[in-house]
Amino acid sequence: MNSPASAEIGSQIVTLMAALMLVVQLLMIGQRMLLTSIQLFAAQSVLLAAIAAVVAFYHDAGHVYVVAALTIAGKVLFLPWLLNRLVRRIQIHQEIEPLLNAPTSMIICGGLTLLGCGVARPFTSLERLGNNTLAVALTLVLTGFFLMINRRTALTQVLALLTVENGVMLAAVALTTYGMPLVVELGIFFDVLVAVMVLGILVYRIRENFASMDTSKLNQLRG
Amino acid sequence: MNPNPPAIVLQTLLLLFLAPLVSGYMKNWKAKLQNRRGAPPWQVYLDLAKFLRKDMVLSEHASWVFSFAPYVVFLTALTAGLMVPMLIAQAPLSLFGGVLAMVGLLALGRFFLALGGLDPGSAFGGMGSSREMTISAIAEPALMLAVFTVAITAGTTDLSRIAQSTQDAAWKLLNPARVLAFAALFIVLLAETGRIPVDNPATHLELTMIHEAMLLEYSGRYLALMEWGASIKQLVLMTLLVNVFIPVGLAGPHAPFLGLAMSLIAYLVKLTVLAAAMVVVETTNAKLRLFRVPDLLSTAFVLAALALLSTFLFYGS
Repeated sequence: MNSPASAEIGSQIVTLMAALMLVVQLLMIGQRMLLTSIQLFAAQSVLLAAIAAVVAFYHDAGHVYVVAALTIAGKVLFLPWLLNRLVRRIQIHQEIEPLLNAPTSMIICGGLTLLGCGVARPFTSLERLGNNTLAVALTLVLTGFFLMINRRTALTQVLALLTVENGVMLAAVALTTYGMPLVVELGIFFDVLVAVMVLGILVYRIRENFASMDTSKLNQLRG
Repeated sequence: MNPNPPAIVLQTLLLLFLAPLVSGYMKNWKAKLQNRRGAPPWQVYLDLAKFLRKDMVLSEHASWVFSFAPYVVFLTALTAGLMVPMLIAQAPLSLFGGVLAMVGLLALGRFFLALGGLDPGSAFGGMGSSREMTISAIAEPALMLAVFTVAITAGTTDLSRIAQSTQDAAWKLLNPARVLAFAALFIVLLAETGRIPVDNPATHLELTMIHEAMLLEYSGRYLALMEWGASIKQLVLMTLLVNVFIPVGLAGPHAPFLGLAMSLIAYLVKLTVLAAAMVVVETTNAKLRLFRVPDLLSTAFVLAALALLSTFLFYGS
């Protein structure tokens, strides 16, 4: 388990799955159907849980298994279920036209990926497992913010927030694997869980008041 | 580059007779997934045989380009196929530029396909040609970038040597750059073979057809050559995907007969998996509006560009 060859393979697996997370993120940027976006987010979370499990396996870090299990329970099963139910209740299945069209957003996200890689480059020696997981994590955060700015539907913005959180978790798991105490991870986890539940209610209210999920209409609320 | 006649003959035969079967199986599986019975997989052979026997109707406005195009389409697909390693890691034919020559040949075929659509002056043909060219203008750069990614890791554009370079270390296949390039190439494959998110191979509805629109004026022997050429091109691209990106089980240059048989089995298994994946994508997705197609292809392009850049960013030390 600790021989150099197997650590090499583990590192390859982590890098591969991090790259797949990036692929899923890019697909989500090009995606306009809300239900598909939710499924993509669930797929990304499965990959995150798998990375956590691999890291735990190769470093004998027991508490990282807990992170993997929590990710599966929360982000793969519970949150997608919650958001799916929300989509069915508010009867809006498609994204409103985003601010920038898909090709432009894709090119911008390519640039953001480069930025993420460039910023993460000096830190590659710190990573114990995975060659460029930090770069992917930074890219997930950056593109998540971009997704949040670019989209106007409240639900997609919630999803974007969740992908940002996935990026943060990836950095925490892959970079400081045994550094982050379980309490902090639990804290982040429940923070996001509650935030999404509250945001879900908020989305429902926005829909009730404006018959749309367009957050830019919130400007009309004047006292 | 000494040509090896038995290898050339073997690969030509495989390309000629496996390609319609792959198309037929994909049609059959698609029908099964959609709760239809579907034609038997060998129906495509019967279709081709029938087209070859039938008389042709030529438009009186058609020039020599119209009759010339089917031969070019068929032969370029076949020649490009000889440059891709299929059973043996050493492809039977390797021209200068390796993969560049292959992409160039396919582009030549597409050029004549579009000309053949335009030549008889029917409105649908022109529309199909224009759409085909629009799509290929975005799909081709993505294809080139994705192939360059593997070419850079292998240090050569020769497809045979690219396939050999990863044979000794299988875990190198997990390289993220390869995964990104594979994803990009898969989208390009769907676009280039006229599969559902981009084009529907089973429709003659004027608003949506692309490839079929260019073939509308063709009949008889020419139609057979066009259809056969299209299925060979599909097989060539699929082979490129499975053998260059996952060269597992590819026989070495001096493999004995048993090695060849194993290689054939591995190749068929990989091909089956890829075809099944394409069928699932085709069944679970709706066709995109034509103006949404660039969105999909730009995703492929960005994936391929990232793949190429990540070979420098992550591993260039």
